Amino acid sequence: MRKWLARLAALGVALLVVSQGQVALAQDPAAGKKVIRVGATQAVDSMNPFLAVRLVSSQIHRQMYSFLTIPDHKTLQPSPDLAESWSSSEDGLTWTFKIRETKWSDGTPVTAEDAAWTFNKVMTDDAAKTANGPAAENFESVTANGQELVIKLKEPQASMLENPIPIVPKHIWEKVDNIADFSGDEYPAVGSGPYIAVEHKKDQYVKLKANPDYWRGAPKIDELQVVFYDNPAASIIGLKNGEIDLIGRLNPPDYQSLAGDPNIVQWNQQGRRAAYLQLNHGATTTDGKEVGDGHPALKDQKVRQALHYAIDKDKLVAEVQNDLAKPAHGSIVPPMYTDFFWEATGDTKVTYDPAKANQILDEAGYKKGPDGVRTMPDGDRKLEFRFSIHTDTPIEDKLAEYLAGFFKEIGVTLTTKKLESSKFTEETGVTGLFDIAISGWSVNPDPEEVLATHLCSRRPTPSGEGGGTESFYCDDTYEKLYQEQLKELDRGKRADLIKQMQERLYTDAPVIAIYYPNDLEGYRKDRVASITSVPEQDGILYGASSFWPFYSLEAVESSATAEEGGSNTGVIVGVVGAVLILGAGAFFLSRRRKSVADDRE
Amino acid sequence: MTAPLEAAEPAAAQAAGPADDHRPARRGLLRYALTKAGGALLSIAMVIVATFFLFRLLPGDPVRNLAQGRNMTPDQLDLERRRLGLDKPLVDQFFDFVGQTLRLDLGTSYEYKRPVLELIGQRLGPTLLLAGVGLVIAVSLGLWQGTRAGWRPGSRFDRFSTATSLLLWSVPTFWLGLLLLMVFGAWLKIFPSRGIESVDAPDGFGYVLDVAWHMVLPCLTLVGVVYAQYLLVMRSSLLDEVGQDYINVARAKGLRDDDLRRRHAVPNALLPTVTLVFMRIGFVVGGAVTVETVFSWPGLGKLFYDAISVPDFTLMQGTFMLITVAVIIMNTLADVVYHVLDPRVRSA
Repeated sequence: MRKWLARLAALGVALLVVSQGQVALAQDPAAGKKVIRVGATQAVDSMNPFLAVRLVSSQIHRQMYSFLTIPDHKTLQPSPDLAESWSSSEDGLTWTFKIRETKWSDGTPVTAEDAAWTFNKVMTDDAAKTANGPAAENFESVTANGQELVIKLKEPQASMLENPIPIVPKHIWEKVDNIADFSGDEYPAVGSGPYIAVEHKKDQYVKLKANPDYWRGAPKIDELQVVFYDNPAASIIGLKNGEIDLIGRLNPPDYQSLAGDPNIVQWNQQGRRAAYLQLNHGATTTDGKEVGDGHPALKDQKVRQALHYAIDKDKLVAEVQNDLAKPAHGSIVPPMYTDFFWEATGDTKVTYDPAKANQILDEAGYKKGPDGVRTMPDGDRKLEFRFSIHTDTPIEDKLAEYLAGFFKEIGVTLTTKKLESSKFTEETGVTGLFDIAISGWSVNPDPEEVLATHLCSRRPTPSGEGGGTESFYCDDTYEKLYQEQLKELDRGKRADLIKQMQERLYTDAPVIAIYYPNDLEGYRKDRVASITSVPEQDGILYGASSFWPFYSLEAVESSATAEEGGSNTGVIVGVVGAVLILGAGAFFLSRRRKSVADDRE
Repeated sequence: MTAPLEAAEPAAAQAAGPADDHRPARRGLLRYALTKAGGALLSIAMVIVATFFLFRLLPGDPVRNLAQGRNMTPDQLDLERRRLGLDKPLVDQFFDFVGQTLRLDLGTSYEYKRPVLELIGQRLGPTLLLAGVGLVIAVSLGLWQGTRAGWRPGSRFDRFSTATSLLLWSVPTFWLGLLLLMVFGAWLKIFPSRGIESVDAPDGFGYVLDVAWHMVLPCLTLVGVVYAQYLLVMRSSLLDEVGQDYINVARAKGLRDDDLRRRHAVPNALLPTVTLVFMRIGFVVGGAVTVETVFSWPGLGKLFYDAISVPDFTLMQGTFMLITVAVIIMNTLADVVYHVLDPRVRSA
C-alpha cells in the first residue's frame, strides 16, 4: 500500500515536472525565427493537389503552388499570377497565356510546359480529376511553346480566368507513376508559391517555410505552420493560450467567447456564404420523373412566395445569428462580391409582411381550418411542412423554432426533422424526401459553380445517383441565362446575366435566401503585427480564394514578454501542485504506518 | 458496464461444482485453447461478412458526400463512382471485398486516397499509447481503491472513493475533457489544447517529455471516466470473499490483516476483474473516439468516426475489422487465462 502511494505521488510529481519543462519548451517554439501558427478545425486529407478536396488542403496548396490567374486581393477581379498576360480569340475558343519567367523552388525554370503538363494530366488521368476535374472538362487541348501556353476550349467559357487548378512542376510530377497512389508527402515540396512545405505530420500539422525566391518577393515571416484541431472548442483555447496565432471560420458562439481577451483581435466581416431554405417544389430526376414525398402545396409558386413574405429576416439575424450576419434581400450570391451581387428592389422585393402572406394564400384558395391551419384548395391536405436540418448544428435548431413561429402566423405548420449529415445530403439532394431544408453555399469570386448547382443536369439520374443539385431546380429561363453567361466574355454584360439568374431564383423561389453569415475569425495581436484580407476592404483571412492574407502576414518582432507571463503562471501552479501532491502522499503514508502499527498490536 | 455479467460467470462455474481436478491439466488446456481459437476464427469470418453488409446499410452516397460544397459535374461524379467500384452490383463488390481481405489487402480509403492498412498503421501507435497507458492507470487505480474499499465496506474511504468514481463514471466524457481543457488549458495554461506533440517538438528525451506532457489531460479524462468499473467489480468480488469461512479461519490462525487480504482474499476476488481487463485490452485498439476528438489525438477511434460520416466504406471496414478481431482475440485469451487461473472453470 505504501508503495502504491509512493508511486502515485512520484507519478504526480513526474507529470508536473514534465509539464514545467514543456511549458518552457513550447513557449519558445523556434528561437529567433518569425513563426506564425494558423489553427484549422480540419486535418489535411492529402498533400497531393490532384487528390485533395478539403478546404484546409486547398488553403495550404494555395501557399505552395501558383495558378494561371488569381482574384486580385483588392478588387477580386482576375489578375496575373503565373500567367503574366493573356488574350483570347474572337470566338472565345482559344486562349493564349504568357507564363512568367521565374523559378521553381528547386531552381528549375518555370515554363509553359509545366502548366500544359498539369492541365493535360487533369484532362486525361481519371484520378487526377478528383480535386478539380470540372475545371478542365471544357478543355479541348492544351499545348506549350516556350513560355506560351495555348488552351483550346470546346465551348466558350467566361470563367476561364478563375481556373482553380494549382500548377505543379512537370520535372517532379512526371516521375509519379500513378497519381491515385501518390500521397504528395515528399519534402521539401517543389512549388512556385510564397511558401515551401517542409513537413507534414499526419493529423497534426503542416510546416511551410518562406520561399526566398518567390517572384513577388519573399514573405515577411520565416515559417507558416498550419495546426489541426478536431475540436473547435479546443482551438479557441489554443488561441487564448497562445498555441496558435490565428483561427478562421468560427461559429458565432466561439467567436463571441473571444470577447474581452486583450491580446485577441475579433475579425467580423462580410462573408462569402449565403444561407438559404431549399423548398421541395416538386423534385424530379434528369428524365423528369417525380421523386420523393414533397408536399404538393410547395409546387405552387404562390405558396413559396407567401412563405418568403412570412419570414422576418431581420429578426433571424438578430436572434439566431446574434447579429453576426446580414439579412438577405438578394439570392445565392452574397454582397461581398459587389460585381455579381443582385439585390431586390421595388416591387420584386419581398419584405416581412405576414398580412400580405395571408392575403396571397387566401386568394390562392388555401383556406384556414377550424384549428387555424390552412388546407389545400381541394381540402385534401393540411399545409403541414417538415423542415429538415442537421443533428449536430444547434444554430439550425434555433432557426427552426423561429421559422415555425413565423409560419404559424400564416396558418402553416412547420415540424423539425433532424438528420445526420450523410442522410441529410441524401434526402435533400437525391431522394427528395423533404419539404423545406436548410441549405447554403460558400461562393467563389466567380459564381459560376454555385449557379450550376441549380441546373437541370444536376438533378439525380433515373437510377438514383446524385448529380449535385442544391434545389432540384429545372427552369428554362434559368438554363438559357446560364448558357448565355458562360459565353459572355464582357464582364459587365456577364454580370447582368448572372443578376437576372438570381432574380429568377428570387421570384420563383425554389430557394429563399435568409441571411449571409459573416466571416468570423480571431487572431493574436501580440503575435500577428499585420495581415491583409481578401478583398482588402472588409474581407476574409483564412478561407479566402487567395494566398494573399498569409503572404502579407507580418509577425510581431519580440514576443518574449507575453510568453514569460504564461511560463510563470505555469511554474507557480506546478510548484503548488507538486507541494500538494507530496503533502497528500506524506499524509497518507504516515496514516498508513499508523494503521499498520495498529494492526500489529 | 459489462461488470455484472462478468461477475456472474465465476459463480456459475462454481455452481457446476468441482468435477475432477486430476485430469492431465496440460492436455486439457491445449484442447480447450484450440477449441476456443477455432471459435474465434469462426467469429472473425462472420465479422468479415457482417462488416460489409452492415456498413452498406448506412445512408448516404460517399461520392456525393465527398463532393459536398464543391464544384462537381454529374460526369465527374459518375467517374468517381466507377473509380471506387461503387457502380458494380453489391454482390460483385462483396466478392471483391472478401477476396481482397483474404489477401490482407484492406483497400484504399475513399477520402484519404491512401491504403487503409497504411492509415491504420499511422494511427495505431498513438491509440495504443493513450488507451494503453489509460488502461494501466485505470486498472491500477480501480483495483487499488476497490480492494481497500471492499475490505472495509462502509468506511470513510469506501464511501468517498465509491462516490467519486461513480460521479466521474456518470460524467459525459467530452464534458469532462472540455472541463479539464478549460481549467488546465485556458485558465492555468499549463497543458496544451491539442495533439500528441508540439509543432516544434524537441528531439530525443525532450520529445518523450513533450508527448508525456500532451498525454496528461487525455489520459486523465480517460482514466476518470472508466476506472469506476474496475473499482466496483473489485470491490464487490472482494466483498463476496470477506464473509467466507476460509477468511475467518485464516484470521483465526492469526494472520495479519494485510497478509490475509493480499494472499487469500484478493487472489480469489481477482477473477472477474481479469476477464474485464482482458476485454478492455481488446477495446484499447479501438481507442476512445470522444477523448481523441476532444484533444485532437491522432488515433484510430477518430479515424473510424470520420470514416462513418463519409461513409468511407473501405476505411470503415478496415478499422472495424481490426477492432473486432482484437476484441475477439482478447476474449479468447481471457477464456484461456481464466482456465489457467481458476481450476473451477476447467471442469465447466
